[in-house]
Amino acid sequence: MIHINFVRQATLCCLLLTLVWPLRTAGADGPKQPDFQKHIVPLLGRLGCSGRACHGSFQGRGGLRLSLFGYDFQSDHAALTARGTEGPRVDLRSPDSSLILLKPTLGVSHEGGRRFEENSESAAILRRWIAAGAPGTEQPAVLREILVEPAEVLFSSKLVEAGLRVTAVWEDGSREDVTSFSRFRSNDDTIAEVSDSGTVTSVGSGETHVVVFYDNGVTAVPVLRPFREVQGESGRLASDTTAKGGSDSPLDRMIEERLELLGLESAELCSDSEFLRRASLDATGTLPTPDEVREFLADGRPDRRERKIDELLSRPAFAAWWANRICDWTGCNPAQQAELGQETAVQWAEWVRRRLERNEPWDRIVGGIILAGGRADGQNWLEYTEEVSGFFREGGRERFASRSTMPHYWTRRSMQKPEEAAQAFAQNFLGIRLQCAQCHKHPFAPWTQHDFREFSRFFEPIKFGVPPESQAAYRELAGQTGLQIRDPGTGAAVTQDLLRLAQQGRTIPWRELYIEERNSPISLSLLRSGTVTLAPDQDPRGVLMDWISRPDNSWFARSIVNRIWAAYFHRGLIEPPDDLNPANPPSHAKLLKWLETDFVDSGYDLRRLHRLILSSRTWQRSVRPAPGSPADRHHFSRAIPRRMPAEVIYDAVKQSLASTEQQQAVRTDLTRRAIGDLSMRLAGTYAMSVFGKPERAVNCDCERNNQPSLLQAVFMQNDPLLEQRLEESGWLQQITVDEATGQLPPRDKLIEDAWLRTLSRLPTDRERRRAEEHLLGAPRISSGLRDLMWALLNTREYILIH
Amino acid sequence: MNGRFAVKTRRSFVQAGALGAALPLSRLLRAADENPRGDIGRSGILVFLGGGPAHQDTFDLKPQAPAEYRGQFSPISTNVPGIEICEHLPRLARQASHWSLIRGLTHSLADHGLGTRYMLTGNLPTPVLDYPLLGSLVSYELPAAQELPTFVSIDRPVEGPGYLGPAWGPLSTGEKPRYGQPFRVRGITLDGTLTVDAFRARRSLLKDLDTAFQDLESEDALLQGMNQFQERAYRMISSERSRQAFDLAAEPESEMDRFGRHEFGQSMLLAARLVEAGVRFVTVLLEGWDTHQDNFNTLARQLLPQLDQSLAGLLGRLQDRGLLSSTSVLTVGEFGRTPRINGNAGRDHWAQAACALFAGGGFNVGQVIGRTDARAEGPEEQGYSPDDLAASFLSGLGLDPQREYDSGSGRPITAIRDGRPIPGLLATV
Repeated sequence: MIHINFVRQATLCCLLLTLVWPLRTAGADGPKQPDFQKHIVPLLGRLGCSGRACHGSFQGRGGLRLSLFGYDFQSDHAALTARGTEGPRVDLRSPDSSLILLKPTLGVSHEGGRRFEENSESAAILRRWIAAGAPGTEQPAVLREILVEPAEVLFSSKLVEAGLRVTAVWEDGSREDVTSFSRFRSNDDTIAEVSDSGTVTSVGSGETHVVVFYDNGVTAVPVLRPFREVQGESGRLASDTTAKGGSDSPLDRMIEERLELLGLESAELCSDSEFLRRASLDATGTLPTPDEVREFLADGRPDRRERKIDELLSRPAFAAWWANRICDWTGCNPAQQAELGQETAVQWAEWVRRRLERNEPWDRIVGGIILAGGRADGQNWLEYTEEVSGFFREGGRERFASRSTMPHYWTRRSMQKPEEAAQAFAQNFLGIRLQCAQCHKHPFAPWTQHDFREFSRFFEPIKFGVPPESQAAYRELAGQTGLQIRDPGTGAAVTQDLLRLAQQGRTIPWRELYIEERNSPISLSLLRSGTVTLAPDQDPRGVLMDWISRPDNSWFARSIVNRIWAAYFHRGLIEPPDDLNPANPPSHAKLLKWLETDFVDSGYDLRRLHRLILSSRTWQRSVRPAPGSPADRHHFSRAIPRRMPAEVIYDAVKQSLASTEQQQAVRTDLTRRAIGDLSMRLAGTYAMSVFGKPERAVNCDCERNNQPSLLQAVFMQNDPLLEQRLEESGWLQQITVDEATGQLPPRDKLIEDAWLRTLSRLPTDRERRRAEEHLLGAPRISSGLRDLMWALLNTREYILIH
Repeated sequence: MNGRFAVKTRRSFVQAGALGAALPLSRLLRAADENPRGDIGRSGILVFLGGGPAHQDTFDLKPQAPAEYRGQFSPISTNVPGIEICEHLPRLARQASHWSLIRGLTHSLADHGLGTRYMLTGNLPTPVLDYPLLGSLVSYELPAAQELPTFVSIDRPVEGPGYLGPAWGPLSTGEKPRYGQPFRVRGITLDGTLTVDAFRARRSLLKDLDTAFQDLESEDALLQGMNQFQERAYRMISSERSRQAFDLAAEPESEMDRFGRHEFGQSMLLAARLVEAGVRFVTVLLEGWDTHQDNFNTLARQLLPQLDQSLAGLLGRLQDRGLLSSTSVLTVGEFGRTPRINGNAGRDHWAQAACALFAGGGFNVGQVIGRTDARAEGPEEQGYSPDDLAASFLSGLGLDPQREYDSGSGRPITAIRDGRPIPGLLATV
């Protein structure tokens, strides 16, 4: 066996491990009595037979269809033992005449080509299975876990290859070496490659995972190779880097321990002006003003950064920007609202914003969304419909925001099918992507179609319409207000005409969110977390809420902690941030666990989490790597420049060009900001789609796209909207007037202002000279200044958060 | 044992723009690479007849049907024996040897928004995934040269780039060209007050000021990408080549006669110029086909003559310039219209039957494929779906409609999952 070093997460020790347990399996030829579930289906998966491009496709291939990624044992067995067009797929009397042997060995022509040789182990296993009568699987055995040895791989210049060994542990305690029935995948093949037989080869420095699949088990094995290694005494890995000044933040400590192990040095902290700009943009989606920059740079207090962080977190723009992000993650889309898309989407965002402003705990906010109802306890339908009508009158915005629950999440048109609601719910609140399991076993997670179907059924009784006992009253009011209804149960959407009546003080008929009674109690399995029996009139959402906030349900805290981390950095600790599954493990498992625990222990305190990140050295690092250190992108040794999100750019350009008097108002009037109310209005406009603002039409965080593009550059250089902003700039207009009246401030002051307005820093001497040269060459100072603002807005330094 | 049978890893899908897992940026940068068109380049033009043209009054006439169905127009013969189209399309009739007509295009979404989305993406719309426009798929695969946009929409984008991400969306001109009037292309045309020289001076100032990240650039694809896009945008705005491509004033009056002086004619002429310059995909809109009332007058007096003149003009011009064989042109609307004429001499939405016209490179031409029943209510056999239409169009452009893309949603998405090229339509190479 190869000599292997093992790494415990974020420790420097390495161990030598030998395989200890006796394994039940056979030698080189595989199991004596191949089992359909344990050997045949995994073998067909590994050989590629049940892959999407082959028999796993929904149409099948060559008449044979297997379930994609396996796990539908009955139909796979039926398909394999049925007769093919060219003969029996399985011939019990003469196993070698079976098509499942002839085709993949090219004894009979096979579109999929040769999959194995006649004298291979695969052939021998299939032959033995057929000879034993090709038995199927009545009741699938339950896989308890798969163990992989080594559990972690540390490569070095001396060790560049390691073999993995996979052991299945079944519910009855039996164990079997299933290495030759497992599939392997490297999550980053620039760091490590893995062969079909489980041999991992080091390709480059860094850390990644090799993922192992068997039956419905998935395990990820960390694989690491340092950038720089120094062999210390007794085989222990040491590093010549030293942590820079011990931090008392566990966050920094855990990041730095890992950097040390990798032989990476962390970057210096960023400068004060970089800090202010980055913190202001990341926490509040807003550029600092020139005055704020000047004040901050003059602040000599050692705790000025902490003070600034506290101040930023208490600003209304903080609540607005993060409400906007939560609206992304929960799907607040005007086009999908049941009615009055703009109005209800703004209500939704405002409801969330109020809660962030008060720093309400995350579980309470989510509870208010998940458990939302139409009417309050004891309220009758008329009182309800009067209350809702009032939300659209004077003061209604506040009244809606102070409702204890927010129903628009469930009433969207995209939530009316239980399957769609189940997918949205899992992705929105748990970061789990279930959609694969709607049609086949999930390839990277344990979810089967059965799991998905059962989970979907929880959502069946959540209805939006008119509950039976309110239909008479609804119909009457509809008649009085002229609302056309076809079916009193489904009711009709409120139109703009009807809305005007409500605004004039009339009560108009509103549909409501309610729970429909089932015919009988029902027992459902809750994504492999036990089975729940629901009474016929029981609101299933109570069960869902209890389940997601249970301490042993790590998805709930993990998904929000990871999403917020991902918004402050260029990637999540899990990336993509909304794809939590065993094949996509965190880059820093210990740190993520610590953040989750801290978040739960603090009572789901969001602001505390923001503060932890903002005040960490890790987040405050410069974008420039430490001298001599590689430009790492994966391990948080430095900051990575990120493009401003669409709404932030939109607001920033406005603010940079506003008159000095207007600068505050432009920032603080949230009804006019793209990160505030305008977020809904602007969705889908040219500017927003060019810069990748999500329409929130899809259950995927990837809908927000912060990549640069050619059209963005065209937009910034010459779009009519940008020209209009320059044309209408309050600041430039004032300067034009000042110039005409001979009251122009000194050029140097104007140049300084231009920099502070855009790049939030003072210009360097070289920049001052270049700007001065341009102003002097321009027909007028004011027109030269307009060019200067155009140029500054087009720098990468402006559009990036750095 | 790897290859297409192995477990697909994230990297082995085609990387689209959305996901951060690998480096989709490298794809963006590829678009910015020098890629002079030469004559090997393929281009596509999609003429979208917004509103849903009455199939039985344009390309699928039923002169034998009862009066309340057949409409007021008579069929005329074309330069291909046996093919007949509407009498108000005489120029296209003389060019039947240049196109292939699909009858019995069919689906079930008789709503403008959904029908349009279905027709222009080749995928049944779903709430869980945004599919890209055909033009976005084409621009993803066939980047244009440096100084030109890859994908242009005249005047507005009808749909978006979907899961491919904003980099593959169209440059929308923002307005339609009007005869004899200056034409501004959103983002490209310089405002009247800004000269090219002044723009160059701004640019030179920018170059001198955008230096903060120079030292990091070699390590960072984002910084490099932004720099290249900035450069390319500048060239598009300031270069002769791009400004000329958009400049219809350079066209002689004879071409105005050929295409028509109406907005649609000018738009089609612009489409031709753009393709000649090396733009890969252009969409042109002709709206007004939603003829619930006064169908026959609207068609006979306005829409059919415009379509006839400008589409024939486009095909003729591409032919003259040797570009017809490398340019695939598809003309289609979101659906057809009701077989029975309504009380307002109009026809209403009808998705069960519609027509599409294919011309140019990649297609067998001079034929009709498919047929509808006696009253043009639906295809005689199973007909062709928007998916088939999209698969055919992409195949005609030399692209693989079954190619998989990483949608960023965690699963690979086949470009056109349910479509197969329409039998007999594709030219065998």
